[in-house]
Amino acid sequence: MSTVVTPAPQRLRRSLGHKLRIAGGIVVSIVFLFPIYWMVLTSFKDQVDIFTNPPTFFFTPTIAAYVEYMTRADIVPRLINTIIVASGSGLLSIVVGTMAGYALARIRLRGAATIGLLILLSRGVPPIALAVPMFLVARKLGLTDKHITLILAYSTFLVPYVMWLMRSFFLSLPRELEESAMIDGCSRYGAFFKIIVPISLPGLLSTLIFSMILAWEELLFALVLTNRHASTIPVAIAGIAGDTVNGANWAALTAVGTITVVPVVVFALLVQKWLIKGLAEGATKG
Amino acid sequence: MGTVQIRDVHKSYGPVEVLHGVSINIEDGEFVALVGPSGCGKSTLLRMIAGLEDISGGDIRIGDRVVNNIAPKDRDIAMVFQNYALYPHKNVRENMGFALRQRRVPRAEIDERVNDAARILGLEHLLERKPRALSGGQRQRVAMGRAIVRNPTVFLFDEPLSNLDAKLRVQMRSEIKELHQRLKTTTVYVTHDQIEAMTLADRVVVMNSGVIEQEGPPLELYDKPASLFVAAFIGSPPMNFLEGNLQNGTVLHLDDGTRLNLPVGDRKQRSRVTIGIRPEHFTVAPSGWPATVSVVEPTGSETQITARFAGHVVRVLSRGRTSVRPSDTIHLAFDQGHLHFFDPAPVPEVAKMEDVA
Repeated sequence: MSTVVTPAPQRLRRSLGHKLRIAGGIVVSIVFLFPIYWMVLTSFKDQVDIFTNPPTFFFTPTIAAYVEYMTRADIVPRLINTIIVASGSGLLSIVVGTMAGYALARIRLRGAATIGLLILLSRGVPPIALAVPMFLVARKLGLTDKHITLILAYSTFLVPYVMWLMRSFFLSLPRELEESAMIDGCSRYGAFFKIIVPISLPGLLSTLIFSMILAWEELLFALVLTNRHASTIPVAIAGIAGDTVNGANWAALTAVGTITVVPVVVFALLVQKWLIKGLAEGATKG
Repeated sequence: MGTVQIRDVHKSYGPVEVLHGVSINIEDGEFVALVGPSGCGKSTLLRMIAGLEDISGGDIRIGDRVVNNIAPKDRDIAMVFQNYALYPHKNVRENMGFALRQRRVPRAEIDERVNDAARILGLEHLLERKPRALSGGQRQRVAMGRAIVRNPTVFLFDEPLSNLDAKLRVQMRSEIKELHQRLKTTTVYVTHDQIEAMTLADRVVVMNSGVIEQEGPPLELYDKPASLFVAAFIGSPPMNFLEGNLQNGTVLHLDDGTRLNLPVGDRKQRSRVTIGIRPEHFTVAPSGWPATVSVVEPTGSETQITARFAGHVVRVLSRGRTSVRPSDTIHLAFDQGHLHFFDPAPVPEVAKMEDVA
């Protein structure tokens, strides 16, 4: 059958491969995006539409769930708490983690590799194992249910994350840059802040965004360490899902979920140019 | 005063010593090249002068100050790196003016000095560009511009031409020489390329395994190498070496039985000896010893012939052109006035490399 070989089928095959790759991409995207789509969809349904079987895609949308929960006392303050905690822990971690990463990458220090490894290993401990001791420490210090407590708790996993990302970024920069700056009149600190930090800005920014997203959606520590005053949105969502008195209010749950995701998506879209630049930078430097 | 005095300097990394007591006195305005194979410690020494490496022993003076414990920024030096190390986020003008800004020089003066340096180096039309928009040669010039704007006591160059292609390298080499003749700033120049060292420097310091093998004016090293290593390292194509037993100081028995009469004797009167003959001191003459040609390489002005002679491969450089062809037998004589005698030792790897650089 296929004894006739001409260039045309080859081109066809190549474009077929291309089509297959695109189709694969679409399938993967659907798998990832469908739950989010379903969440947003559900948030606009009323209780009856949510439980129809088979599930319905066509219904009269309502914003009742949004109105109900946004006007309830605890959602807006929790949103504000989340913003405070995410930006606070993101900024703290980026400052500490970047400097630590630089030190690990550049300073000749006996045992630097071991120190770095130990800090990385601390990430291997299951968070739940740390949550209870952290709560006990916080209570002893009178720090429960405070923003600073969550900011510090999040920094325990964000600092190592930032440190390792930035360390490999700094390793990709030629050492001579700082040496040149030091000969030109800078101290080590001057070289770091005047030369290295400006060059690393895209990488720093994308790391900061990832850190803030991690802090934004963190549930466990927030659940254990806060009560009402400093409690964050994920805690609110868990509360709605686990409401044993009234039963789970799915419309409310998905509405709050949507509210939580939207700022992250908007933020990511705004800075995606930086994000991609930052992610690509490390590979192309040198 | 732009003198640099290096006195019995040692450098160790943990238990490993890489510099074993090096002393060099560099005069004000002198151009000194540190040359040697990779790993000989030349770059480490330069970085110690710059303050980028600690000094494990001995001391370094710049002018009349011991600088051992002085930070790089306070040594009044400028350095050009192999990869140029231009600040990628700053344009050429900012790169060149950075050191002056760090020293809080008034803006007008910075502009003036940057413009002067740019004029000298032909960079005026590139001042607003970022480094990534420059070619290799232009980046190299900016790196030099950044150094000369400072008007430092000492220039340090760390293999500044190694990243350029061959043609550009030769061009930049003469630009560096011209720059030095114009500015007369004391310069220490590190290179693994002996041609660069020979052509640029007032004085060449040949280093090997953390010690100085020999130092002196370029042609002195060429004419009177103190060791087999220097003889092998300096000169391209490299010197030829023949090893044999010496009889009465004047007859050399090579290992394949060939006997060479040497009217010029070896003053040390050793029995076993390596003699060195530069390629241009061989001549093709009917009275000479027979050799078989293996390769003929004409370059126009001269011809390099590689031949097998008494069990050795030798390189012969003859002025002008020749009709000799591979596998011909030629007769080689050598210029008796230009023989070099050494204690027998394995010929260093550097001499086996074809045209280092």
